[in-house]
Amino acid sequence: MSAPTRLGYVLKEGFLQVLRARGLSTAVIVIVACTLLQLSFFLGLSRVLDHALGSASEKFEMTVFLTPAAEAVDRQRIETLLLADPRVASVRLVTKEEALQEFRKDPEIDQMVQALGENPLTDSFTVVLRKDAAANLDDLVSKIKQDSRVEEVDYGKNEWETVSNLTRLARWVGLVLGGFIFLTALFIVSSTLTLALWARREDYILMARMGAPLWMRWAPYLWEGILEGWGGALVVVVLLEAFRRGAGVALPKYSGIDMVMALPAADWTGLYLTLLALGTVLGFLGAFLALQRKWIREIH
Amino acid sequence: MRIQAFHLTKIHPSGVKVLDDAYFSAPEGSFTVVLGDSRAGKSTILKILGGEEKPTSGVLKIDHKDIYAFSEKEKRQWLQGVGMIFPDLKLFPDKTVEENIHFVLRAKGASGEGEKEAIAKLLSNAGLAGKASSQPVGLSSGEQRMVLALRAMIFRPRLLLADDPFQGLDDKSTSILFHLFRELNRTGSTIVLSTQQMSFLSAAKEKLSPSIQWIKLDEGKLEPLEESVS
Repeated sequence: MSAPTRLGYVLKEGFLQVLRARGLSTAVIVIVACTLLQLSFFLGLSRVLDHALGSASEKFEMTVFLTPAAEAVDRQRIETLLLADPRVASVRLVTKEEALQEFRKDPEIDQMVQALGENPLTDSFTVVLRKDAAANLDDLVSKIKQDSRVEEVDYGKNEWETVSNLTRLARWVGLVLGGFIFLTALFIVSSTLTLALWARREDYILMARMGAPLWMRWAPYLWEGILEGWGGALVVVVLLEAFRRGAGVALPKYSGIDMVMALPAADWTGLYLTLLALGTVLGFLGAFLALQRKWIREIH
Repeated sequence: MRIQAFHLTKIHPSGVKVLDDAYFSAPEGSFTVVLGDSRAGKSTILKILGGEEKPTSGVLKIDHKDIYAFSEKEKRQWLQGVGMIFPDLKLFPDKTVEENIHFVLRAKGASGEGEKEAIAKLLSNAGLAGKASSQPVGLSSGEQRMVLALRAMIFRPRLLLADDPFQGLDDKSTSILFHLFRELNRTGSTIVLSTQQMSFLSAAKEKLSPSIQWIKLDEGKLEPLEESVS
């Protein structure tokens, strides 16, 4: 039998088996859908965190405070030094008068400044860094600090590291929980598919007794598992797309909903493709594990 | 296929001795009929020949090979040339008559161009024209038995094992089926058939000219019937 004929047989038989065992097929589709819905939460969260971190790194700034003795020539020298570094996107001088003006917008600080009677602030540079430059700035900071007219450099290293670590932790927790959910679902899907196989055991035995090769017995069944996996994934994709289109309008912008809605279309597409791939794996592995049951292996 | 069996003994788990030191030989292309009463063990012999029930002791060679020493792969390959009509080898309930027969062609690696027409012709010859699209549940038991037989013959097996294939068939259907067996036998297939219908014996004697080997199974012994049809 030619390969296309074999393929045609497998595709048709697998599809017909899904229809013949409608009840069990629906059960598998629902289980896969429930699992993927939970997994999509972790996948979505991971993408939101990626974006939040990416956007934070794009806006990452450093402030270089100068000593009160710094003069125009010092400012020029330090600005040149900063702009020479490839990680620096732009440098803006904030004079102590501008800084004071900004501070006095806060009434409490305004009162404190009035009590002092003079401007306690110094000139500073606001340095905007390029994307991904935030990870390692220690050498740049120490080079700037060597200048005698530089008093302090603040770039929120600790805050940055905390955000990075929390993101990493969230990813790991998501991965472990997602993996656990996936394995549990795999067990349930496999058990349900085993029931479907058990319901058709007489046909399976008949095929074996008639000398049907392994591919005729296994391939339609594996294809059936994949179809049911796709079915479950498709349900989730439709639900998520409905949520995406409806939630932005219906739900108030709180609890990070707006962050989810702000994900670019490519991320949603990526999420849907990932879910379809996971559905395929879940259905295929579930069917494969069902075929590994002892009573099936004993049928020759 | 050539069959040779020596000192065959089969004791069922219940302790009943079905075969007792039996001898049996069927040359390639021969037609053998095993006669015997109900529960005499005819089905057991055919299952042993089909590789489905290992004899308790003795030697069974088919084409000089011990089929019970085959690996799984070798057994599947061997089964490609064997057709079986066993009462428990039922039709697939979810497939149509045509799909049931087609399945065997695929399973035996005999699928090819013109198979649809070949199936239609075979069904027509068997008096089942117009039943190709029927589900097994829509057939009478006689029609189901006829389809089972056609399914086992469609790929022209080198060995056909038929366990009481005429049971439940009317005279006309019996005659048609026996004619189909003879046609298959003429193409070189070895046929071993069991029956307890003595009416079949007399009908066959009248109609057949080529030699048929008649064997009677009685109390575990296989004995040639005194008169072979010639």
